[in-house]
Amino acid sequence: MNCIIIIEMGTAAVKVFAFDLSGNLISSSKGHYPTFHEQNDHSEQDPEQMFITMLYILKNLLIEKIYPKKYTVSCICFGSSMHSLLAVDKDGIPLGNAITWADNRGKKEAAELKASALGEAIYKATGTPIHPMSSLIKICWMKNNEPDKFKLAKKFLPIKSYIIQQLTGACVIDFSIASATGLMNIHTLAWDEAALNFAGITSEELPALHPVFYSDLTLKKEYQRVLKLLPAVKILVGSSDGCLATLGAGVWGNDMATITIEDSGAFRIIGDHIIDDPKQQIFNYLLTEKHIITGGPTSNGGVIFNWFTKQFGDFQKAYDIDQSMDELIQEAATVEVGSGGLIFLPFLHGERAPIWNPNARGCYFGVNIRHERKHFIRATIEGILFEMYSIGRSLEKHRHIKGLSINGNFASIPLCTQIIADIFNKPVSTLSHGDSIGRGAFLLSATEMGLYPSLEEASKTVNMHQTFYPKAENHEIYAQYFRVFESLITKVADEFNLISDLQQRYS
Amino acid sequence: MNQLILQQGLSKELADFPHILEFVHKKNNTIQLNSFSSNVCDCICLYYILEGKFTWIIDSMEHTLYPGDFAIVLPRQCIGGQSGIMNIGALFWIKISIEDHSKLLLGKWSGLTKKEKISVNQILMLNKEQPVLKLKEAHTLMQNLQTELLNEEVGFYTRINQLLDELFVLISRQFIRQNNSRRDFPQNFLKLEQTLRQNLAHQWTVEEMATLIGMGTTAFTEKVKNYSGFSPLNYLIMIRIAEATKLLKKNQVNVTEIALNTGFYSSQHFSTTFKKLTGYTPTEFRKNNTTDQ
Repeated sequence: MNCIIIIEMGTAAVKVFAFDLSGNLISSSKGHYPTFHEQNDHSEQDPEQMFITMLYILKNLLIEKIYPKKYTVSCICFGSSMHSLLAVDKDGIPLGNAITWADNRGKKEAAELKASALGEAIYKATGTPIHPMSSLIKICWMKNNEPDKFKLAKKFLPIKSYIIQQLTGACVIDFSIASATGLMNIHTLAWDEAALNFAGITSEELPALHPVFYSDLTLKKEYQRVLKLLPAVKILVGSSDGCLATLGAGVWGNDMATITIEDSGAFRIIGDHIIDDPKQQIFNYLLTEKHIITGGPTSNGGVIFNWFTKQFGDFQKAYDIDQSMDELIQEAATVEVGSGGLIFLPFLHGERAPIWNPNARGCYFGVNIRHERKHFIRATIEGILFEMYSIGRSLEKHRHIKGLSINGNFASIPLCTQIIADIFNKPVSTLSHGDSIGRGAFLLSATEMGLYPSLEEASKTVNMHQTFYPKAENHEIYAQYFRVFESLITKVADEFNLISDLQQRYS
Repeated sequence: MNQLILQQGLSKELADFPHILEFVHKKNNTIQLNSFSSNVCDCICLYYILEGKFTWIIDSMEHTLYPGDFAIVLPRQCIGGQSGIMNIGALFWIKISIEDHSKLLLGKWSGLTKKEKISVNQILMLNKEQPVLKLKEAHTLMQNLQTELLNEEVGFYTRINQLLDELFVLISRQFIRQNNSRRDFPQNFLKLEQTLRQNLAHQWTVEEMATLIGMGTTAFTEKVKNYSGFSPLNYLIMIRIAEATKLLKKNQVNVTEIALNTGFYSSQHFSTTFKKLTGYTPTEFRKNNTTDQ
């Protein structure tokens, strides 16, 4: 029997999945690696630790779970989070750590570029909003702030390219990951000259660009041996977490969108053309040149509720944070829709879409003397989901959306799913499988292997588990509160910058 | 109560306790020049503030201590008052010697087991950059120590050493509590990881790791597995190999040294573990991936 292995280099952990050729999950395993915050705004990971962790998890999964069941691996496909950047020297040796998507060190570089005509042109060409998350800004920061390292660097890689290079020796990047670097022209499918100039590099310093189906890669002999894999095993370069999650969410078709909320979150649609947004609020990433994932990311998803729980959760009885979080969710469910008029702006991490302001900050608004702790709990949840709605609305300007599919551990909490349905006034479906990134990567591999005629057909095999329908009376209430939420954000725009400056100066 | 100054060699009360160099309960009513000038400790100095406000420089960092605060200064750390003066107020202090050629802070007088002494050692060493704790519970212990030393009632010899042990256990637990909020396992785990990386050569045990994070061994192992996907020792091996990989690629240190620096007990052990995971021996790996810097 044959099976497909998916390796997903996520933000906090590597996940390895094994699927049989019919798409049944045989087994999966994860291994955590740490993120270091040596300075404010910095967020880094150790590439060697990521590689070793991946190797260890992969090897154990194969030897303990897959081979004993008489499976042969026919394909290995990669997924990973976007926007990571690792500089390596002429021998391919890392110069320090990999910088993650959450790193904000390039705030100044991003603000300057965004305010310029060049910034607008680069956004149009690359589809990536101008923001410190992008490789473009990170490279530019290194050029300005670490000139010695910049000079030694011979290649700039996302972490996935580094991992594949360790395993195969080839230096490659797929369209999905590349289209999120801010350096790839998504119209011409080549590295963008203007972006390269701004970053101060040439295309020689980036990996070779390939479609997500590229598989002209061979595992090094040593790894074939320790992993007991055949030389013929297909190595598929694969795609990014965002594109794979959209594929795995089964929202193909022009009237569906998907919401992912884990620590951070995103609202995404899939279509056959690039959507040009004059306000530069949305991204366009490529699954393939004909399948464009358009959407907006938030930095303030489950991580904000996590923060709330740490500060205000009950830890007298609770064994750990998950339990404490469950109790808060139960308490929130007893509060009326709209939290008695308490509104929360969730921008504790600044915000990406739709306002793209790293200086945005959080706020509870409308507190009155009758509000209790439980109102704050529910308002926190509603604020996170209102923000997702404001991203959704920026997409709805370009596409009529009839229904939503949700995934991610925060969005899948039944209370949250119902609130999403009520706020959006649309039916919201949950998926029958747990991990849409793994599922998406399976569908991609299976399509490449000819098991499905096309990605569209593959995506149709995704089953919805349960659908939450909106309650009209709740939507009516949310719609009114949302107007306040939205206008509040515009009204305090200046104060966001003022308070953020003061915070930087005095703490 | 009047103040009390007991000093080894001068005060008969300390004759049975060679490890206690000084026990002092002091009320300071006047400010005098050079009353507390900066000096490097050669013993463990513990201070508990009763009244007043004291500004001290410990290892070139300024600390302001208020009643209920406790300062722990370890050998080779430096302490003195700001401008060399002792502020007005009242405090207890006790100075405890460490045994020659011993790596441990707590000597033979202590009734703690060897493992416990090692743990206390690690916790104190790890926290020496934050030498001030809020520790109101230490007040009673200091008072009891004073009473036992002065009254010499039956059992006082054992009792005094027990009180000292109790004090060190209290300090260690307070450090752990202060550093590890139950609310934030990921944060605690990250701190643990940084501690492990700082001293990879040490033969860490699961008990030691669990102690640093303030958990029992079983709960700790389960929690780490759940969070990281690895048992604590396998997680440690992961860090060791990742660190060794970096050193191999740098081509500056020889393989045996890399093995020992990253916590493998021999180059053979390193080689086997490395090859099992990567398919390469460290030497082959180095040949394939090197940079000359």
